[in-house]
Amino acid sequence: MITARQLPEDAIRARAREGSAAIFPDVGGYGRSLFGADVDSGGDELDRARIVPPVFVPRRLEKMFDLAREPVYGDVGLSTVLGGFTAPSPVFLCAFGSTQVAGSGLGIAASEQAGRLGMPMVIGENVVPMHGYGRMGESAEDGLLGRIRAYAGAVPDGLGGVVVQQSTEDADAEVWNLVYSDPSATKLLETGRLAFELKVGQGAKPGLGGMTVLSRTAAGEIAEQYTVDEAFGTDTAMVLRSSSPGTFTGEILRQQIHLMRNNYPRARAWVKLHPGRDVGEAARVAWAAGADAVTVDGAEGGTGWAPSVFLDQVGLPLVECLRRVGKHDASLLVSGRIWEGARALKCLAMGASAVGLGRAALLAVDEDATEGLVRLVRCLELELRLLTSALGKYDLAELTSDDLWFPGSPGRMEQDG
Amino acid sequence: MTGTPEAALPPGTREHLTSPVTQAALRIQNSITAGTREYLGMNGFVELQPPLIGPVTDPGCRGAKQVDVDYYGHKYKMMTSVILYKQASLLAFDKIFYVAPNVRLEPLETSTTGRHLVEFTQIDVEVARASREDVLDLAQGLLRHVVTYTLRESKVDLATLGRDPEAFTALLDEDFERMTHREAVSRLQGLLHGQSADAEIDWQGERLISEQTNRPFFIVDYPKGSRGFTDGESSTEPGVLRNFDLIAAEGFGELCSGGERTHEYRRLIERMRETGENPAKYAWYLDLAREGLPPSAGFGMGLERVTRYIAGLDAIWQANAYPKLPGIAAP
Repeated sequence: MITARQLPEDAIRARAREGSAAIFPDVGGYGRSLFGADVDSGGDELDRARIVPPVFVPRRLEKMFDLAREPVYGDVGLSTVLGGFTAPSPVFLCAFGSTQVAGSGLGIAASEQAGRLGMPMVIGENVVPMHGYGRMGESAEDGLLGRIRAYAGAVPDGLGGVVVQQSTEDADAEVWNLVYSDPSATKLLETGRLAFELKVGQGAKPGLGGMTVLSRTAAGEIAEQYTVDEAFGTDTAMVLRSSSPGTFTGEILRQQIHLMRNNYPRARAWVKLHPGRDVGEAARVAWAAGADAVTVDGAEGGTGWAPSVFLDQVGLPLVECLRRVGKHDASLLVSGRIWEGARALKCLAMGASAVGLGRAALLAVDEDATEGLVRLVRCLELELRLLTSALGKYDLAELTSDDLWFPGSPGRMEQDG
Repeated sequence: MTGTPEAALPPGTREHLTSPVTQAALRIQNSITAGTREYLGMNGFVELQPPLIGPVTDPGCRGAKQVDVDYYGHKYKMMTSVILYKQASLLAFDKIFYVAPNVRLEPLETSTTGRHLVEFTQIDVEVARASREDVLDLAQGLLRHVVTYTLRESKVDLATLGRDPEAFTALLDEDFERMTHREAVSRLQGLLHGQSADAEIDWQGERLISEQTNRPFFIVDYPKGSRGFTDGESSTEPGVLRNFDLIAAEGFGELCSGGERTHEYRRLIERMRETGENPAKYAWYLDLAREGLPPSAGFGMGLERVTRYIAGLDAIWQANAYPKLPGIAAP
């Protein structure tokens, strides 16, 4: 069983097991117990922000003109276009990378459920170097092809899409060229549902490349491609495999995106940024060069294995990334400890187009390999509908930062009074 | 050219090899290689034998996968082009050429363009201290010589294929037009073809623009971001590459690509990163560049494409004895 100590694991597993019943307090206590908020909800700044419905709701009146009846939460539309794909709700599945937990069948189970949901799915950049492609006698299980097939076999027409990452060193494996010329990707390519994501960085270790713990034997096979470090001592069986972070300037990023668009005209171009202090500028460079989406991983995000000092002390939190990117018309996709509707809505209100499920999705699939992720997403969607309608809105595009209140922020009396 | 771009697929090996069309096309191809060697030999070029595998190969091939080779446990590549070796070879001779086989696992969508083969041959030419304009003149001179040679030596075969020698009158009499990529884009947009200004001319666009002319022409000055790192960037116009494509008339499309090369160590590193490449795998080449590679210009001319154009064939596979089309398993 996998664990994720930074997340409310029990609550996520409950949703994966029980579905929408788990978003309410225990229904067995209804009529007998008194409920209320936890005094200390803890979490980061984004968790501590509150969603603040107004008393006056002119957008609800507009909706009532459309419907000729009082709108309810079921009237909130969640369908979203994100990074060139159509999704039933503003949620996508983040890359799990090559972490061992994403192996052992969970990757395939997650792909199948994501496909069934029609939610866009990102496949990690080093799945091919670590798990293989799934051709020429390699096992398709957990390889890139196995995941693409599981997804493509389940996804409804017109929804979703698959995004394949590649970073500097993984470019040696030519992941994109492989996928672009493989018959199993043809259906997705022909229906505009294939994207490639240039991985500039990741949330768990901003400024570092990918890291994986490997056995000595496995490390020997990839020694030409990666740096292998005796970080755990020469008397242990395990070694540390590191990628370089890759060197980027504005011009390098711009031209890499141009080349992606030139070389893969039928695929969408996505760019993943780490929560760097110039994340706003980098996002603008990417969009101007023609990226269909920019993905930002907050410093709290990532399934990645990283030195503790990076997990604890490096990179901007997601909320600050959202502030630095600011208002924009392009597709901004964010991730970082998202598993339920409130944090998702806060991201959307601050300018994100969609949110990614990473570790929470893994936990859900681990809890129930056939329905866990589906149930988790259904819970998140129900909460999004409840929360958005409470704000008097029925279209996610109408959410703004006015819908949020941050503790300690200046009151609104001076402005309103 | 009489057929559609979606010309029929190759027949079986026996039928293909015993077909009078294949035989005529391959004899015409013989004239083309003989004419090439005659012209380049007269102009002081040394022919070298091409390497087939190496630790790296030319990455600048849009969307095409490279073929991996297990070389005593090291991951080697089949040549997608010998560009890196061409630059290195200038350490030995100032003017060199190869008749070089290449393998590119092209995207499946190219199987119906009528002009993509997985396995093909390039006439690969490189000249030390030459400018792009020098090699434009050289490419024009080479193609004219090859056409003259073939019209003289392969009369019967051209007649068998119904190719009218008049098709080459303008090619032999008039200089090839030189237009910039920007001009080509606006010409295509004028033809209501949605060509991106930042990308290579797409295959359909190339055919459209090629159908408008009576002789081959050059497109020069492609934008950075449309080509690999070996294409040199202009020192006076940042973002513009000092490169070119040679496009045939009558809708036959691109015959040849080339230009001035990136050769300075620091520029190579920058251009590698701009094209998403990891410099570490180019160690042997960068070591040479750090100590100095001569500036140069050159081009690679597709042998089967030139054969198809001169012979007037519907599809490129007709110009190859054992054609391999993208995605189709064939001997």
